[in-house]
Amino acid sequence: MRLLALHVQDFRNLPQVSLAPSPHATIAVGQNGQGKTNLLEALYFLATLKPLRAGRLTELVRWGTQGARVVGRFLLKGAEREIAVEVSGGVRQAFVDGKKASSLEEYFGGVSVVAFTPDDLEVVKGGPDARRTFLDRAVFNRYPAFLKESRDYARALKNRNRLLREGPAAEPAYLDAYDETLAKAGARVYVRRRALMAELAPRAQATFASIGRTPEPAAYGYHPSHLGQDFAEADEAGLVDALLEALAARRKRDLERGFSSVGPHVDDVTVTLGGRSARAYASQGQQRALVLGWKIAEIENLHAAMGFLPLLLLDDVSSELDPERNAYLMSYLASSGAQVFLTTTDATLVRGAAAADTLWVDVHAGQVVPRPADAPA
Amino acid sequence: MTPDPLNRLVAQLAKLPGIGEKTAQRLAFHILRAPGEYAVELSQAIREVKEKVHLCARCYSLTDSELCGFCRDARREEKVLCVVETFADLMALERTREYRGRYHVLHGVLSPLEGVGPEQLRIKELLERLNDGKVEEIILATNPDVEGEATALYLTRLLKPLGLRVSRIAQGLPMGGDLEYADQATLAKALSARREL
Repeated sequence: MRLLALHVQDFRNLPQVSLAPSPHATIAVGQNGQGKTNLLEALYFLATLKPLRAGRLTELVRWGTQGARVVGRFLLKGAEREIAVEVSGGVRQAFVDGKKASSLEEYFGGVSVVAFTPDDLEVVKGGPDARRTFLDRAVFNRYPAFLKESRDYARALKNRNRLLREGPAAEPAYLDAYDETLAKAGARVYVRRRALMAELAPRAQATFASIGRTPEPAAYGYHPSHLGQDFAEADEAGLVDALLEALAARRKRDLERGFSSVGPHVDDVTVTLGGRSARAYASQGQQRALVLGWKIAEIENLHAAMGFLPLLLLDDVSSELDPERNAYLMSYLASSGAQVFLTTTDATLVRGAAAADTLWVDVHAGQVVPRPADAPA
Repeated sequence: MTPDPLNRLVAQLAKLPGIGEKTAQRLAFHILRAPGEYAVELSQAIREVKEKVHLCARCYSLTDSELCGFCRDARREEKVLCVVETFADLMALERTREYRGRYHVLHGVLSPLEGVGPEQLRIKELLERLNDGKVEEIILATNPDVEGEATALYLTRLLKPLGLRVSRIAQGLPMGGDLEYADQATLAKALSARREL
């Protein structure tokens, strides 16, 4: 998969951008607040139909204009395809080769992207919420069906919570029915996350070993709370039963609180260093290396599973890493063969990822200007 | 200045689902230009549908008499009952010409988010009509989405203790459809629910 051309119109602060990205690295240089991240987000939105940063769709449209549009010409499995997405009036519409894409599946046929932002670097330190999102993004990249499956779970959960808020008036059989619906959808989420972790954790641990500069081994784990020791081996039907049991055991409390206290929506990813919680004990540098290890594992995992490398988007990550780990990341990017988009305020930080075919662009006040090929940074 | 009667017709037509202002205008002109009796027949058909069509007293499908055609038809099996969400679902099942049992229309699904609980559906009526002991099997044909599943599970909990056979329509790939056109979630589910031959 390769992005041959990118066209952006009225997206966040970018009025109009046309680029012919390098097959390898494309590097956007500019001061903060000029639109570098917006450029990456346009690409991310094109590939996933989701904003990179939380927010409403309407925020993607440039102030004072009617709608935003991002178009990419991709080389997918040997054929050129034009993929486009528009946001207008708070609604988004995707197009494949000029035709409205009726289903998301059709749209996501072959485009896959891994984004890496400074916020991600904080994921070890932050709350479980951020780690779940981090995990689910990786699951969705690996298993496209997870998009609908996780939505089904969210819907079942909302329904059950609404029912819980009716309190003691809620008919037990009615609650039972939603418990079972939630348990079935939840077991699917468990199975997906577990399968991804089984693939990813060993890779991430190995990557950390080579960049962590730490004698203790890293471990990444997903162990749903309240499901006990059998989680690793249980089949999907067993997980349904286990979750049902946990829901039943907590029903009284859940009814009092009006909230489902057990299920995939409260799980966490554990990251440990030498058996101790990385959140509490790892240094800032180690925490970032742990995330870096995860991200590189995700890329390699996708490569192994799909046979092609995802597009890599790195938003000003280098400035947050110490020189040695940054050098590792840059040389990894250069040798991976992946198509990479980097942003930075300081070109010297990312030079390690650059080569003769790198496209350098300057971003200033929403204008994205490619540098001539004979005048590199 | 268009005449008011025409404006009124356009406004009424534009309220129909899927009909915009322009289409409403085209339809209104069509009615205006059509031979005289067409407008009369149309208005009469509209009035009659409101006046004469109501819910069947037994299965809650649509009928213009006390009981619907499905309930009155003596050739249909009394032992099997198929529970559907809407009348449209009933019609879809009828088109197969496979099913020869009776129906029960719930008129919705259980959805706490939408404020629809068991009392809002024809569930009490379903239980009442089972009292005569004629029905032996119930087929739950609600949609395979979150609310449809929950409704089927709820009904199962009510019906199983009555000693009835309760079944759920199967889910998976559409017949005659190509694998390549199936969406990923359906295909993933079909794959995990595969059968040994």
